[in-house]
Amino acid sequence: MIKKTSWLVATALTVVFGAAAQADWKPAKPVEFIVTSSPGGGTDNFARMVQSIIAKHKLMEQSVVVTNKGGGSGAEGFVYTKVAAGDPHKLTFGTNNAYLLPYVAKLAYKPSELTPVAAMALDEFVLWVNGNSPYKDAKSFIEAAKAKPETLKIGGSQSKDTDQTLTSLIEEATGTKFIYVPFQGGGAAGVQLAGGHIDGNTNNPNENAGQWKAGAVTPLCVFSPTRLQGGAKVTATMGWSDIPTCKEAGIPIEQFQMPRTVWLPGGVPQEAAEFYADLLKKVSETPEWKEYIERTSQTNRFLAGEELKRFIAEDDVKTSKVFEREGWIVR
Amino acid sequence: MISRFQAEIATALMTAGLGLTAVAGALEFGVGWGDAGPDAGAFPFYIGLLIIAASIGTLFQAATGRQALQSVFLDREQAKRLGAFFIPILFFVPTALLLGLYVATALYLTFVMWMQGGYRLIVSAASGLAAAVIFYIVLEIAFQVPLLKGPLEAALGIY
Amino acid sequence: MENFASLLHGFGVALTTYHVALMVVGVLLGILVGVLPGLGAPNGVSLLLPLTFTMDPVSAIILLTSMYWGALFGGSTTSILFNIPGEPSSVATTFDGYPMAKQGNAAEALTLAFLSAGFGALVGVILITVLSGWVAKFALRFSSPEYFAVYFLAFASFVGLGGTSPFKTVVSMGLGFAFAAVGMDTVSGGLRLTFGLNELLSGISFLIAVIGLFGIGELMLTMEEGLRFDGIRARVRLRDVVRTIGTMPRYWVALLRSSVIGCWMGITPGGPTAASFMSYGLAKRLSRRKEAFGKGEPEGVVAPETADHAAGSSAILPMLALGVPGSATAAVMMGGLMIWGLNPGPMLFIERPDFVWGLIASMYLGNMVAVLVVLTTIPLFASILRIPFAIIGPIIVIVCFIGAYTVAGRSFDLWLALAFGLAGYLFKKLDYPIAPLVLAMVLGDKAEDAFRQSMIMSKGSLSIFWSNGLVATLISLGLVLAFWPLLSMVLARLTRPKTTSATA
Repeated sequence: MIKKTSWLVATALTVVFGAAAQADWKPAKPVEFIVTSSPGGGTDNFARMVQSIIAKHKLMEQSVVVTNKGGGSGAEGFVYTKVAAGDPHKLTFGTNNAYLLPYVAKLAYKPSELTPVAAMALDEFVLWVNGNSPYKDAKSFIEAAKAKPETLKIGGSQSKDTDQTLTSLIEEATGTKFIYVPFQGGGAAGVQLAGGHIDGNTNNPNENAGQWKAGAVTPLCVFSPTRLQGGAKVTATMGWSDIPTCKEAGIPIEQFQMPRTVWLPGGVPQEAAEFYADLLKKVSETPEWKEYIERTSQTNRFLAGEELKRFIAEDDVKTSKVFEREGWIVR
Repeated sequence: MISRFQAEIATALMTAGLGLTAVAGALEFGVGWGDAGPDAGAFPFYIGLLIIAASIGTLFQAATGRQALQSVFLDREQAKRLGAFFIPILFFVPTALLLGLYVATALYLTFVMWMQGGYRLIVSAASGLAAAVIFYIVLEIAFQVPLLKGPLEAALGIY
Repeated sequence: MENFASLLHGFGVALTTYHVALMVVGVLLGILVGVLPGLGAPNGVSLLLPLTFTMDPVSAIILLTSMYWGALFGGSTTSILFNIPGEPSSVATTFDGYPMAKQGNAAEALTLAFLSAGFGALVGVILITVLSGWVAKFALRFSSPEYFAVYFLAFASFVGLGGTSPFKTVVSMGLGFAFAAVGMDTVSGGLRLTFGLNELLSGISFLIAVIGLFGIGELMLTMEEGLRFDGIRARVRLRDVVRTIGTMPRYWVALLRSSVIGCWMGITPGGPTAASFMSYGLAKRLSRRKEAFGKGEPEGVVAPETADHAAGSSAILPMLALGVPGSATAAVMMGGLMIWGLNPGPMLFIERPDFVWGLIASMYLGNMVAVLVVLTTIPLFASILRIPFAIIGPIIVIVCFIGAYTVAGRSFDLWLALAFGLAGYLFKKLDYPIAPLVLAMVLGDKAEDAFRQSMIMSKGSLSIFWSNGLVATLISLGLVLAFWPLLSMVLARLTRPKTTSATA
């Protein structure tokens, strides 16, 4: 904890002093975008979207090179970023895995060794069941799980990652017990649900949209404080905004969202962080970005500076509590 | 001169060592079979044991069939040819790490063509340089695949 | 019948001068990235993707898939000429393709490879034309136990090929499994066998192992023998290509069998790599010339190439219908689909039939164009072998290391490739079979994941592997294949007295 507070103090100090500095820093050579997922993953789409918008609107003079370093659930990319300390030409794209991974695996980097730049969107989580299953709402699904503990199977992407954390939160909030089955990614978990091999999953809207349209899966509720945007109907009867929030539906979880984050290595000039925060802010205001957010049913929320640090600190505390309870933390 | 017997023994010891490494690494994670099936370490653990067992089998075969394995594995002439090929490669890797892949490519090709191919130094050096430039154009410019670069590229202002 | 009408319509969409021109451009570019070191279909796709945003989706996907076919053919070319497989699925092609090239039959090997690849792809496309609806539904029946059963089947049909020493086969396969286990473990979410080394975080790449074991290891052997490529003096003329085309019908059994294996592995998610290995394994087992395999047997080129491409093309349909990419290339293409405003998934067939059937039609045409284009390039590629060895040798070494570096941009991989090169040399000289190591590395962690996922589902009970007809059939088939040598011995012993009494 001491480490964490000292990190907050240090960043607070740099913000105070940094604010006085002129934001006239500019990249002097091509900027490397480090993607902490393999090609085709959610983070990959995110980074390549940002890249294509920067290129299309010529928001930066220097060109961008994208490299995928998705090994070890993204740890490879973050370790690479850490080693590049002081190099302001390396921008790393991730999720909350940037500060959560070191809890569950012994890794050669600490979150305090990275400089947070911005969070550009919040990806939502939806509770899904098979389209032909008897569960029509969250309540009946939870009841069924309560009646037969440890029989219903929830699939998700990877182990000790967001999906399993959320499953654990659901179990705690409702007093149920599921079998969590880790798959390679959300896509695979979606197909397994459509094929009826598992009973539910907590995929992001984008990962299950196709299957929902075809009626192979049904959404029960969304783990967001408000309902999703988007008016058009996806199926004959339902659109994204017709999915109740989980709180409405009877699962007392206020909010579970995954930020799409951007980082710099540690020890870079404050002006560099501000330059990129400003650049990404411009990206998030383009119509292409809005289109991407809408298409993937994420929540558009741009966070930088103090606001971002507060968000990270809160998310960190909340999630590490789950990790603690499940005994996932490695020392 | 190395006999086949010696080579067999050395290789089997090496594979057994790798097996042992896997076993040691796997022990960290538990090797049992719980409610959720095998633990994370179980698979590498038993694979490691299997490798060790099979390596011992190979050792045993080599020991019992020693007479048949007295044949030459590597004679002087072969060793010379192999060394001429392998030692430059052995230098190629650290050179690449130090000076970048392009410089290492130029140096390596020049050296091999000159020393082993019997080409004139100027021809060899020109070929080495040409190869490096062609690789650069195709990879970095046409396909935007960055290779490892060193101080020379930095001095020239190429990233 | 409805499908045929749709397909005819698809041909109408695909068969315009503009689209055929796109196919030729795509195939040529694909061959280029397939042959060049360190580049592969994913690079080509990500290079072309921005260009395609201004095209309509049908033209864009035609360009991208043609490039993909071209890259696959390019990958087979390097396997045969230099023993460096460009893609995991062309590893099995090196087993007999490279010996053929060394004996001066490079043109024949390349021609056979391209023609059988084209044949396999065609069968794959015909299959998805006829059975498109069924294939997508069938793929949904696969869960972790079935995946495991498919991988097991692939292992079972390939195991026991080495034939030298069973101990050495076990060592080789065990090492493959151990290498595959390094890095992040999906099921537990922890790091394994990394020993605290950052370099091992993302595991040991299969491609690095292949570059070392095959590329560098083979060069060391060649150098030690003081050999040059024997192909040097073999002049290649287009006439040789034409003559080889004439010999194709001779391999009809292998072609058909391998197509069936390929299609099966493409639909069940075994994938092209498993398909090519399995096909090679079965071809060798069922052949009357078992001894010739591995020493330049033409059937050993035909079988894996056919299965590889049959699997590759039939796998595209599940990808579109389920939205799960089977490879890095497919993943980048799917990203493209989304940017063009198309959502992969079951509804794609209903919402955008013009796109789907245009794509399927372009797979027919694109493959034919690709085969024609690559056949004409054979003399060009085969003539590379006439370059003096003092030049081409070191260039192959450089190509290997550049390839090793570009896999993930890690300097550590250069050392790793060197180490695998030494291992490949030692193994080859001491008669350790390398193929089991490669297969175990490709499928090892997938098989392990599938097995452990099944165990989580069944709470640790093995009975899940007999829980339904599909998985039970697959597992039983795998067991029969695994113990086939033993079974055939027993059968022979049982039947012999009978036959003697019958003749007596």
